[in-house]
Amino acid sequence: MNIFDILQWARGTGLQIAVVIFSVGVLIRLLEMWMLNRKPDLAEPRASGTLGGWRTVFTRSAPSMVLMKKAGLLLVSGYIFHLGFFIVLFFFAPHIRLFHNMFGVSWPALPNGIIEIITILSIGALFALLAHRIMNPVQRFLSTFQDYFVWLASLLPLLTGYLLLHTSDFSYSQMLTAHLLSVELLLVIFPFTKLMHAFTTFFSRWYTGAMAARKGVTV
Amino acid sequence: MNSLKGIPIIKLDATPVMSHGNALPLLHEIEVLLDQLIATGKSGAIDLRSLPMLADDYEKLKEILGEGEVKATVDAMGPSQVRETAIHGVWWVTHFNSDATVLAEFIEITYIPEILQTHPADARMGLENLRSRLMSTSQVDKGETDV
Amino acid sequence: MSDDKTLAETLAQRGISRRSFLKFCASIASLMAMPPAMAVEMAEKLAAARRQSVVYLSFQECTGCLESLTRSHSPKLEDLIFDAISLDYQETLVACAGHFAEHILKEAIEKNDGKFILMVDGSIPLKDGGIYSTIAGRTNLDILEWVAPHAAAVIAVGSCAAFGGIPKANPNPTGAVAVSDIIKDKPIINVPGCPPIPVVITGVIAHYLTMGTIPDLDELGRPKVFFGDSIHDRCYRRPFYDQGKFAKSFDDEGARNGWCLFELGCKGPTTHNACATTKWNGGVSFPIESGHGCLGCSEPDFWDAGSFYTALSAPTKDVANWAAIGVAAGAAIGVAAGIANRSTKTETKRTRKPLTVDDLKGKPKS
Ligand code: SF4
Repeated sequence: MNIFDILQWARGTGLQIAVVIFSVGVLIRLLEMWMLNRKPDLAEPRASGTLGGWRTVFTRSAPSMVLMKKAGLLLVSGYIFHLGFFIVLFFFAPHIRLFHNMFGVSWPALPNGIIEIITILSIGALFALLAHRIMNPVQRFLSTFQDYFVWLASLLPLLTGYLLLHTSDFSYSQMLTAHLLSVELLLVIFPFTKLMHAFTTFFSRWYTGAMAARKGVTV
Repeated sequence: MNSLKGIPIIKLDATPVMSHGNALPLLHEIEVLLDQLIATGKSGAIDLRSLPMLADDYEKLKEILGEGEVKATVDAMGPSQVRETAIHGVWWVTHFNSDATVLAEFIEITYIPEILQTHPADARMGLENLRSRLMSTSQVDKGETDV
Repeated sequence: MSDDKTLAETLAQRGISRRSFLKFCASIASLMAMPPAMAVEMAEKLAAARRQSVVYLSFQECTGCLESLTRSHSPKLEDLIFDAISLDYQETLVACAGHFAEHILKEAIEKNDGKFILMVDGSIPLKDGGIYSTIAGRTNLDILEWVAPHAAAVIAVGSCAAFGGIPKANPNPTGAVAVSDIIKDKPIINVPGCPPIPVVITGVIAHYLTMGTIPDLDELGRPKVFFGDSIHDRCYRRPFYDQGKFAKSFDDEGARNGWCLFELGCKGPTTHNACATTKWNGGVSFPIESGHGCLGCSEPDFWDAGSFYTALSAPTKDVANWAAIGVAAGAAIGVAAGIANRSTKTETKRTRKPLTVDDLKGKPKS
């Protein structure tokens, strides 16, 4: 078993396994949550819940000025990491090739230079978040093993991806293998950890907004 | 497009060559090696094929180093060109194969490139050669006087 | 040509001077990325070397490797290395046939026992007792196991001998394996490629003759000097890769401008070989320079590493359909779990006993 075999596995079977676990897991969890629906609210709504829900999806996604004053670093790092991860995932040319190959759709890519800067910023943001988690007594107290594990699992794809373009100590094959395996790890643990929030955040925001709107409150 | 004619012929302007800007650092390296040659007598060499040189870099290098006084051709299983550049002590050595392809190309910083010097073993052979030639000539001479 | 003379002595008789040695070694040093100053030392050693016996065996192969080697682009200077070796046995080139040829092989082994270099091209079939490739009634496995223990070192020429190559490609009908799968106790130098670059073989032999050792090898047994860099590391299209400028088809604007071929399936980034520097056909070009992506022929199992025309970042197997199956299965299981959860919920609701004041007082329920 040489590096080439592992790379072939990671590009083929490994990816298949990871994608199946990811899609099965995510769907089970989403459907389970969705089917546990609440009792119908029979009270006459003061305003449209649907509309309020959508509004909250947006308002809660925009940075809050209050939080900005209280925990600016945390907030900024959070935004940088999440947006950065999203941009790198969907706008790096080789990634688009992957999506094109899988789903037959493609879109314009960002230049590698910009992707690199965003990657570095995102990695920096992750470390800032980790530092905060460790240094802030309350957050440290609230943190479990899973939080650190998920942090590492999110860092590895970014780090290996960056090194793929820049390393001289490791070969491209080694780094590509590491990158693919780290992504596969992320996919596999995704449905069973807090990473699920990538999907549930927006549902819960919508729900919060909808509930409040029905009662005539804007959040 | 299932025949050769189906493939369009498109004429393009010659694309401009992109320079990697490798000429300047190379010239600085030559400067250091020349300095070392003068100070310690140690010669140095730069393998031009080990660097990603594009036509631009190459021309630039040639232009700055210029043409010197010595131009020699060595014929050893294909020609080798040995030229001193306008910078004394800096030589441009190109080895060709017998089919005129370039095998290796060096900038040598030395008083005289190795390939121009005669190897002691070759000199010994030369001596043997000369002696045998002398011998045969003197035999012939002797033969002539005997008659 | 007597075998106890040095190479310089034999060649001097043919009027070949030390300058030729120097020139040859300068080009080898340049090729092997050695410091130029090494050439002088190498030339001295090569001149003092004695002829090296070489036995060349061909197994399950297409003779492309031998073609590549014997048609190498620099006939005259490379004659020098052919003068430095004595090719004592090579089936395709040997003048005689039948029992005579068999005899020559036996003689070559006996005469230079423990000293000759064994070159092998082709893979070795193991299935069904190795019957899929035999020579004079002997299987390749048999011949290899007989000859190799007598060799000083083995050079596995080409991807088949080095890694199994195309004969080993899925489903590997003959059970083909590489030389290194069979021979474990001899130094093996893998020179893969389909075919390998001829001058790499010359370089390896020159290294052995001058340094008396085999060159540094990577984890796949390949000489690092030639296989240390990837094609991508040395590719002249690399600036375009870095700028994210990719040809999207073989006939678009990008292709015409010489942009990077990554998206057209170039395997340069994962392929280690010297094509980008030594080039092919007398230094004319190499595949990428001719407009086609690298196939990765010098890596193990390159034939099974996905399509030559899908990008390296794309999966080698069908992932989309598996994802679809995953989604369907997830939906089914999710709905089933949802229904189960609901019935648990209803059931819990039905059997729930409200908390009473008695409960709080700790009185047992009647
Ligand atoms: S053409 Fe291939 S080897 Fe060259 S830069 Fe692009 S991906 Fe790398």
